[in-house]
Amino acid sequence: MSALQWVFIIASLITVGAAVMMVASHRMMHAALWLAVALLGVAVIFVTLEASFFAVVQLLVYIGAILILIVFAIMLTQRSTEAGSRLNSLAWGAAGVAGVIWTALTYVFIRWVVSGTPMQELGASFDDVVLLGKALVDAEGFAVPFEVASVLLLAALIGAVYIAFERKGEGS
Amino acid sequence: MSEAVPRIAQIPNLVDLFPDKVQPDTRPGYQGYLVGREHLLEVVQRLRDEYGYDYLSSVTGVDYLPEGKMEVVYHLYKTLGGPALVLKVQMPREDPRVPSLVPLYRGAEFQEREAWDLLGIRFEGHPDLRRILMWEGFAGFPLRKDWREPYFEEEAKPFKSRWPEGFVFRAEDRNPFGDNVQYPPGFDPETWTPPDDEAIYRVLKRASEEDDLHADTLVVNLGPQHPSTHGVFRMVVSLSEETILDLKPVMGYLHRNHEKIGERNTFLQNMPFTDRLDYLCSMSNNFGYALAVEKLMGVKPPERAEYIRVMMAELTRFLNHIFAIGFLLNDLGAYFTPALYAIEERELILDIFEAVSGSRMMCNYFRFGGVARDVSPDILEKVRRLVYDRLPRKVDEMDEFLTRNEIVRERCEGVGVLTAEQAIANSASGPVLRASGVPYDVRRAEPYSIYDRLEFDVAVRYHGDIYDRYLIRLDEMRQSLRILQQVVRDIPEGPIMTGKPQYQVRVPPGEAYGRVEGPKGELGFYVVSNGKPNPWRYHVRAPSFINLTSLVDMARGAKVADVVAILGSIDIVLGEVDR
Amino acid sequence: MDAGLFWEWVIKSLIIVLMLTAGFAYATLYERRVIARIQVRIGPNRAGPFGLLQPVADGIKLIFKEELTPAGADKVLFFLAPIITVLPSLVITAVVPWGDTVVIGGRVIRLYLTDINVGILYILAVASISVYGIVLAGWASNNKYALLGGLRSTAQMISYELALGLSFVGPILLAGSLSLMDIINAQKHLWFVVLQPAAFLLYFLASLAEVNRAPFDMPEAEQELTAGYHAEYSGMKFALFFMAEYIKMIAVAMIGASLFLGGFMGPFVDRFPWLGPVYLFLKVAVWLFVMIWLRATLPRIRYDRLMQLGWKVMFPLGLLNAVVTAFVVVLVGG
Repeated sequence: MSALQWVFIIASLITVGAAVMMVASHRMMHAALWLAVALLGVAVIFVTLEASFFAVVQLLVYIGAILILIVFAIMLTQRSTEAGSRLNSLAWGAAGVAGVIWTALTYVFIRWVVSGTPMQELGASFDDVVLLGKALVDAEGFAVPFEVASVLLLAALIGAVYIAFERKGEGS
Repeated sequence: MSEAVPRIAQIPNLVDLFPDKVQPDTRPGYQGYLVGREHLLEVVQRLRDEYGYDYLSSVTGVDYLPEGKMEVVYHLYKTLGGPALVLKVQMPREDPRVPSLVPLYRGAEFQEREAWDLLGIRFEGHPDLRRILMWEGFAGFPLRKDWREPYFEEEAKPFKSRWPEGFVFRAEDRNPFGDNVQYPPGFDPETWTPPDDEAIYRVLKRASEEDDLHADTLVVNLGPQHPSTHGVFRMVVSLSEETILDLKPVMGYLHRNHEKIGERNTFLQNMPFTDRLDYLCSMSNNFGYALAVEKLMGVKPPERAEYIRVMMAELTRFLNHIFAIGFLLNDLGAYFTPALYAIEERELILDIFEAVSGSRMMCNYFRFGGVARDVSPDILEKVRRLVYDRLPRKVDEMDEFLTRNEIVRERCEGVGVLTAEQAIANSASGPVLRASGVPYDVRRAEPYSIYDRLEFDVAVRYHGDIYDRYLIRLDEMRQSLRILQQVVRDIPEGPIMTGKPQYQVRVPPGEAYGRVEGPKGELGFYVVSNGKPNPWRYHVRAPSFINLTSLVDMARGAKVADVVAILGSIDIVLGEVDR
Repeated sequence: MDAGLFWEWVIKSLIIVLMLTAGFAYATLYERRVIARIQVRIGPNRAGPFGLLQPVADGIKLIFKEELTPAGADKVLFFLAPIITVLPSLVITAVVPWGDTVVIGGRVIRLYLTDINVGILYILAVASISVYGIVLAGWASNNKYALLGGLRSTAQMISYELALGLSFVGPILLAGSLSLMDIINAQKHLWFVVLQPAAFLLYFLASLAEVNRAPFDMPEAEQELTAGYHAEYSGMKFALFFMAEYIKMIAVAMIGASLFLGGFMGPFVDRFPWLGPVYLFLKVAVWLFVMIWLRATLPRIRYDRLMQLGWKVMFPLGLLNAVVTAFVVVLVGG
């Protein structure tokens, strides 16, 4: 096996292990940090696939923004420093749902035509950023979903502002 | 207001106003009126509302052990100016109770707590009557005359063990394990945990329960080990996010029972001892104490000494204010640069102090009836160059660098506001009072020394925020320079001392309250003499201490970062707060 | 893989790490001396000539100091937090070129570690994870001041990352590339600070906030929070936080110099490529001087005002700048 494959195997093991630890840890803060490790592992897998743009975006968006907000929220909660109980009553149900989704996804991916084709070496001039950028604004590509997502986010943003203003009015 | 409102400077005749409730204090050397404790609230309320005595300067107690009496002494003033109206309440020593004046003057809060703490006088109706300077596990009331400290030697200095033979041994050396430390009955220092913390935390306001955000209230102790409390001072604050809901100052960490030691000292021994109160401004401390004792002795310093005194007091004011501004900026987060610029000027003034008194900080320069040493012509020339040239430039420089700084204005304007009514009610004094729009300055309201002959303006600002408390210090520095310029121009030749210097002064029996406009506010010394070489009562009305009453009003609703700046703008020195 | 290339990488990485750590040590001395001069003092001048051994003395002192772990602290995280803080600051400069190519012993050596095509995004990503160390330190210390410091830094960094990212957009659009090498080469004739003054200002302010320097040093505000997130740290663990702060200062200065001040570009750099690192060093030194100067001069902005500035002034300004730049680039045909 090549060095790259070893990196891939180690990264995926770390990712899966961290994901398990995240579910298993007692403290919310620890769970969040295990999630960070898992996301970092995914970023490494992106790098091994030569998708450096996605690796960096993974870091920037998931670890640098979303997870930080989660950590922020945990720090603001009252009992962030205390260990919670091991399982709550819904845990087994949640595990069942997750298992079903995982099985379905695996099934779909195995049956997917693309999964059988061997990976191709990318040319030196291959630039995934350019391709992505073009695809996002091309009418043939993802222009419509991209715009729809933007509008959705804008709506969410305005909604958030509205809610925040409402609170302020009541408070004063 | 009735027709009976007299001229400002005239003290109303209380005996006519309150027959059978008030009688004049006829003891020789004493002034003011004795009020029955059951009439105190009524009398004071009428004096405040109808006669303009809106400012309660000083509250203290005296233990007259031989007569078996306790006395609480109140000094009331009008913020329009004029002399003090002194009220006294006498009570038997076994039953020391008086109604609290906190409902009328919030400024009485700390002073009454102090009197309870040190003398055991119970103020009925006080909202939070706990010990303030001593710790909760302390036994007894140390300012009572029958209370004796561990390692007690004698009632009064000079102790025989140290003088005149010159063979010094200390009582604590004879008792190396210190087993004469006293605790209250049933008290075990090993198992004791301070109960006062719980009491403090309980009285703090918290976020209301109905708040649907369920925001947590965080109780944070700012201090005693905190870099911005200017010493060992503690503020317990309850926070919602970063906004202050409530605040309780906790002090006494530097307490050394200054007044008890002062009552063991002889009159003159207290002069260097006052240096240690506000250790930045030893000259003004000397001034206040000298005035009080001179009132008792009935001496007046010669003309040249008066000029020297004013010169030193104003130099002290200048150095205190420039220091305060520098460290206020430090509290705002400016990394020491303004403070060090201020210290540079302060050093030059300290050079002068060193030249005249031999010490840079603990000057011990004033004597009863004069000053210790004369100011030589070359020192005078140095002062002249400072006050005519360098210091005015430096004030302008500071003004230019700081006053219009965007961040300074944003941090200071409208933050920590104290209204004029609050300031008066809280007995605030000095720059804190004047920045709130009350033009009250002891140098004008009840002139002492030669201030009535000097030309200067009482600086006043009207917003009562941090920014105005900063600006007023700039204004006052300019006024101080104006006074200093007149002083160095007009200083006459002549003696610097009335009579000849002596180690043991004779002070006739009586009481006196000497107050000066110290850099931090009204600094008062209440001295009672019974004709012996030691003062019977020696009380300090410390401006830093009483100005802290206003801290709560300023801090409510401010952010954590503001509290530090607010404290800096009050300008306290813990040596004076805790005494 | 070419073994020579591998060793070249290793050596270059080592050089970067060593330069940064040495840079940290002397940045502290530089700061102390400059601030001392500004404050009418002399500053440390006793250890070695001109006080040059002062950082060594400080380092030795910190190594021998006792390490304390507060009771009730989360021990693992308390230990990890300083490490997590230092790592991003060390790796962030990997994509910053310090020269073009030099020939040593017949071998062409590129004076940069790597020139990935998403260099700018890499910088943003690493900057965004550097907040973790501070957050964890604040949380793991079991101390209210530290927690407040951690909370503040989280909020501050999230807010200012946006402005920081938007300030990158101008140079990216002008150069038409996310690679720092391309951006520097595009500044051969004219620095971007001339074309993009607003973006430069945004970058400068946002980077000050990002590295917690005065007047945005909220998270460690000494006067309010008694040093904030690292209040409970001592000895080498504290030194690591200190190190991270100064290395980050150097890093933002390097990145800023590359984005707006032409990086290693300068006169005669074409003919003498080894001048590249020298120019970069000088630019970084000037940049650091300005940061130190600000610290010695300005009071701290209050926390809520800082957030207002970030969201209500800098963020819209960054958006506007990005839109205007894009329009101009399209119209002029860049």
